[in-house]
Amino acid sequence: MTVSGTATASRTAPRPASRRAMRRREARIGLLFVLPVLLLFLAFRFGPAIAGGVLAFTDYTIGAETSWTGLDNLRRMVDDPLFWRALRTTLIYSVLAVPLSILAALGMALLVRRSFRGVKLFRSIFFLPVVTSLVLAGIVFTWIFSAGGPWSSLLGAVGLPEGSWLSDTTLVVPALVIVAVWTRFGFGMLILLARLQDIPRELEEAALTDGANAWHRFRHIVLPELKPALFFLAVIETTVSFQVFDTVYVMTGGGPAQSSYMLVFQLYDQAFRYFDFGYASAIGLALFVMTLVVALIQRLTLGRDR
Amino acid sequence: MTALSTPAALDADVGAGAAGDGGSSRHGRAYRALEPSRTGRTVRAVLLFLAALVTLFPFYAMVVLSFKPTGAVVMPEALLPWPLSTEAYEHVLGAESVLRWTLNTLVYSVVSVVAVLFLASLAGYAFARKRFPGKEVMFWSFIAMIMVPYHVTLVPSFIVISEAGGVNTYWGLILPTLANAQAVFLMRQFIKSLPDELFEAAMLDGCSEWRMYVSMVLPLIKPILATLGVFVFLWHWNDFLWPLIVGQSSDMRTLTTGLASLNAENAPLNVVLAGSVVAFVPIFMAYLVGQRYFTEGVTMTGVKG
Repeated sequence: MTVSGTATASRTAPRPASRRAMRRREARIGLLFVLPVLLLFLAFRFGPAIAGGVLAFTDYTIGAETSWTGLDNLRRMVDDPLFWRALRTTLIYSVLAVPLSILAALGMALLVRRSFRGVKLFRSIFFLPVVTSLVLAGIVFTWIFSAGGPWSSLLGAVGLPEGSWLSDTTLVVPALVIVAVWTRFGFGMLILLARLQDIPRELEEAALTDGANAWHRFRHIVLPELKPALFFLAVIETTVSFQVFDTVYVMTGGGPAQSSYMLVFQLYDQAFRYFDFGYASAIGLALFVMTLVVALIQRLTLGRDR
Repeated sequence: MTALSTPAALDADVGAGAAGDGGSSRHGRAYRALEPSRTGRTVRAVLLFLAALVTLFPFYAMVVLSFKPTGAVVMPEALLPWPLSTEAYEHVLGAESVLRWTLNTLVYSVVSVVAVLFLASLAGYAFARKRFPGKEVMFWSFIAMIMVPYHVTLVPSFIVISEAGGVNTYWGLILPTLANAQAVFLMRQFIKSLPDELFEAAMLDGCSEWRMYVSMVLPLIKPILATLGVFVFLWHWNDFLWPLIVGQSSDMRTLTTGLASLNAENAPLNVVLAGSVVAFVPIFMAYLVGQRYFTEGVTMTGVKG
């Protein structure tokens, strides 16, 4: 590789006077400093990223002969009702979780926007779930959503049917969405809060003297200023939603009756329960394409805005 | 895409600055008028109070239930702070497994933080300040990897580690997580923004490269080391999927995978929650002390809360 070649090229002590020697010494040091990270990337990022694409076209399992299976895994994926189900559930989950967590983030950001006594405490409280492990959140929320748990009691108190949402095939995804909103809104709040700071006071004051009420000021001044940040959030939150795993693993295991079985959970299931690494890689490829599509939409929309 | 730098908005005074001295403002009446009215303030206070209640409730439930005797999970008695029992904690802290998981989590987090900071700052320094062949290609291919979801490389990374005999070892757990593109990116940006004169002066002094890195670069990048360090620590402390597949034997679990396994084995809720409190307290303490670093780290790197 070029790395070792350049590194040994100038072993002789560089004379300060010689520009070329100094250049070579600089290149050698630069490569030396980058080398450890480069090796790690080759082994665990670049290599696996390519391998992830290649594996999807094989029937790889650890310790067995591997052979090319061409498009078999992709064909199997297309014919697999469970894959379509996982995809659909992931999309439904995202369609609910992304707007709800952004809305909650926006509401909270507006509430803690101005300074008042105790505002920092509120901001700290709202950010706390973001630093909490999803496994812990999953464990606590499993109890919260259990039959006879607080959520069920709350529903009963307002006259709605009680019961465990986690064992209900239609309500299990909304339950997971609630956990997602709880864990994510603090992050969005912080991003939006930073943008709100940048809005010049004069803009809103001018609107105020022109007689614009709070809603108009929000609609015509604040919201347009927040638009790029909201878009950024939408992309991040969509990516995070597509990759939901920890809470599904802890709270539902994909059930009941596979009604919360989502893509990353299927990937995990195929790879580490059935040791079907080829098929798991095909699902990984599907996830990659989905992420790419979201990034492309972002690119196109932002490009149009400018 | 994910590298968005944001000031630590939690600490900043947004809007009215020191609310008490509104009269001294140049903007006079309009300044005040942007503040909510008396009713507005009341509504805001009520909404905030409710939102804080909802946000904090799961933490309250976690703590209170962990102090209940086994089986006391019936509403509404379960939520009352009495009777207290330390039964679950005696069980958890007496169990060798939980102590082992805590140790594993500490090793996984601390070693990774030190290694990521060291390797990323070396590489970031080289990318920012040195000329060498292939620099641009390497740097931009690192950045491109931020776009590739973690789960795409999960299976091949596992195969690499598994073939190399790294399953159920610390190095197998730690090594793949050290290829951190965001860390390299942030380091490079930060070091690039430092004044050129500093580096030129050190060069003229004939500083050796290693001395220059240790005695000049490291002290200068302290702020970003702290922010990134806290973020990497948090990420590893809370990480789940990778430890789940690499640390398979029960004595190689971390706190997250260990607690998930307890939960899956239908261990009593108070015991699982006592374990959860044990896992949460260090993060909570750190959050109380250095909240700024948490918010900066999480917003700078974008994803993964």
